[in-house]
Amino acid sequence: MTTTQQPQNLETGPATTTEQPQAAQIEREFTIKARSQREQIIRRFVRNKQAMGGFVVFALVLLIAWAGPLVYGFEFAELKPEDASVGPGTAGHLLGTDGLGRDLLAQIMRGVQRSTLVILIAVGISLALGLLVGLLAGYYGKWVDNLLMRLVDLILTIPTLVVLIVVASNFPNARTAIGIAIIIGIFGWLDLSRILRSQILGLREREFIEAAHALGASDRRIMFKHLIPNMLGSIIVWATLAAAVTILIEASLTYLGFGVANDISLGKLVADGVSAAQTRPWLFYFPGLMLLLIALCINLIGDGIRDAFDPSNKKVRA
Amino acid sequence: MFFFTIRRLLSSILVLLASSMLVFALCVASFDPLSAYRQRQPPPPPQFFEALTEQLSLDQPFFVRYFTWLKGVVTLDFGVSNAGTPVGPVLIERLGITARMVVAAIVLAILLAIVVGVLTAVRQYKPEDYFFTFLTYVLIALPTFWFAALLKEFVAIQFNDLVGQRILFTLGEQSPAIELTGTGSEIFWDRVGHLVLPTISLAMLSFAAWSRFQRASLLDVLGSDYMRLARAKGLPYRSALLRHGLRNALIPLTTVVALGVGSLLGGAVITETVFVWHGMGEYLIMSINADDLNPVLGWMMIAAFFVIAFNLIADLLYAVLDPRIRLS
Repeated sequence: MTTTQQPQNLETGPATTTEQPQAAQIEREFTIKARSQREQIIRRFVRNKQAMGGFVVFALVLLIAWAGPLVYGFEFAELKPEDASVGPGTAGHLLGTDGLGRDLLAQIMRGVQRSTLVILIAVGISLALGLLVGLLAGYYGKWVDNLLMRLVDLILTIPTLVVLIVVASNFPNARTAIGIAIIIGIFGWLDLSRILRSQILGLREREFIEAAHALGASDRRIMFKHLIPNMLGSIIVWATLAAAVTILIEASLTYLGFGVANDISLGKLVADGVSAAQTRPWLFYFPGLMLLLIALCINLIGDGIRDAFDPSNKKVRA
Repeated sequence: MFFFTIRRLLSSILVLLASSMLVFALCVASFDPLSAYRQRQPPPPPQFFEALTEQLSLDQPFFVRYFTWLKGVVTLDFGVSNAGTPVGPVLIERLGITARMVVAAIVLAILLAIVVGVLTAVRQYKPEDYFFTFLTYVLIALPTFWFAALLKEFVAIQFNDLVGQRILFTLGEQSPAIELTGTGSEIFWDRVGHLVLPTISLAMLSFAAWSRFQRASLLDVLGSDYMRLARAKGLPYRSALLRHGLRNALIPLTTVVALGVGSLLGGAVITETVFVWHGMGEYLIMSINADDLNPVLGWMMIAAFFVIAFNLIADLLYAVLDPRIRLS
């Protein structure tokens, strides 16, 4: 969000300042490569240093998490009692081991894999629900809108974390990464539905929607061919920011004892590390820093995408 | 303004009522007060369960149970826990403890957010701006409990060693039994010492988001025509910024702070767990683990009450600060 956007006519800039013949200048002005909207958005994103930095680091983390176990000598579940609780660098364990002699780096790589799965499932579910509710409320308006939005208001009167704890406490057998992801996903759509509803309220009155109506387009066609493509920017931005929130919530739930139990996830490693902070600080630092790094990268990517979709939008998330 | 207030007040009460129904439905579906007996070996006879079900009126229809409970709540009677102790007094006592942390955190977060927001907006794209932008990004990406544990396990101990005296406490909301032995000021300073770290860890979360918001809001105002006019008529930069700029830029923050109360209450559960406070958060976790219906219901009602109350306050405050809202 600290980047300034390049002026749209940057490409024509050098041509007018350098001493080129008149004809060549005109030639250059009229032969500028036309860029589609998509190309422009990608260009803006690629030129945003913070966003690209976040993107590259995030891609590297994912690469290491998936390719790393193939070349690294230790399995994440491998117990080596003779190497229990050794510090980073001892006996080939790059980041040390935990109390059962499991290699920390291998566990982190596995944790990142599982946490990515958590993100995909949770955000996928929230996205579907949020789209459904947002479209229904925004497009049909009247009592549907009133009913759905009041419901969202009501759910938001209770802290989301507490709702998640109560619901998760009902399913003691669902304490795997996937189970927790589903629970988080079911309550993650509230803000998305509000965002989409308010956008549709604006879009609904625009000429192109009216034109589609006049041409006899069905409601479904208007929603999927006209409304959703016009809101794609907000949807993608919401999805990235929700991804960062998801791994943080997963970690918090796990820490409070209502999250992942019989599985490995990044949140689980961080939560377990807290109790070992004094005696085996590496178990505390490395998973925590990894989680921080991932959430940071995702947020940077999300803000970069928002700036790329709407360069005039200097607003920040609150 | 009077009718506006009345209208908002009435709708808030309606929302609170609807919210109580939702809370009741969620909790009744989630908790079984008899679960402790079901796991007992050897299992109690069926007559025992029947008697208890009738005694706790678990066999009544949903709405009958709801209205019985609601009647109690209106008179601040939150029922009894599984162990038979009344929930209301415990909740209120623990609310006092948690309120210390939450109120202190809100105040700290607002002050920091305004200072940092103004600084980063005035010095936009300067090193200070980049530094605080980076800091807020990191804070937003931090898990609360990890940050709290970092403060507790490393910062506090280092700090106390440095000063050579125990100033920052890491466990509990006060030293055990100090209210029996200490004098008034001793108790006060002891509680302050216990308050510092939990408040910081709770405040940092909200501060990060709020300062970004304050920055954007002030940047909006700084570009407006009336700011240019204020400068053009000869006001010094500082008074134009503070009297004309900041006053207007603070208005949007009221809404954001009010909406953040819910997540602060959720965050307090985590902070209390890390610092072993005996407040509302601990009570909630304990009760959920014990399948204790009434304490959880009471907790959620109090949370919903505060969230709705803060929304109401923000609405009214907004109308006072910005007449355009009132008139439309």
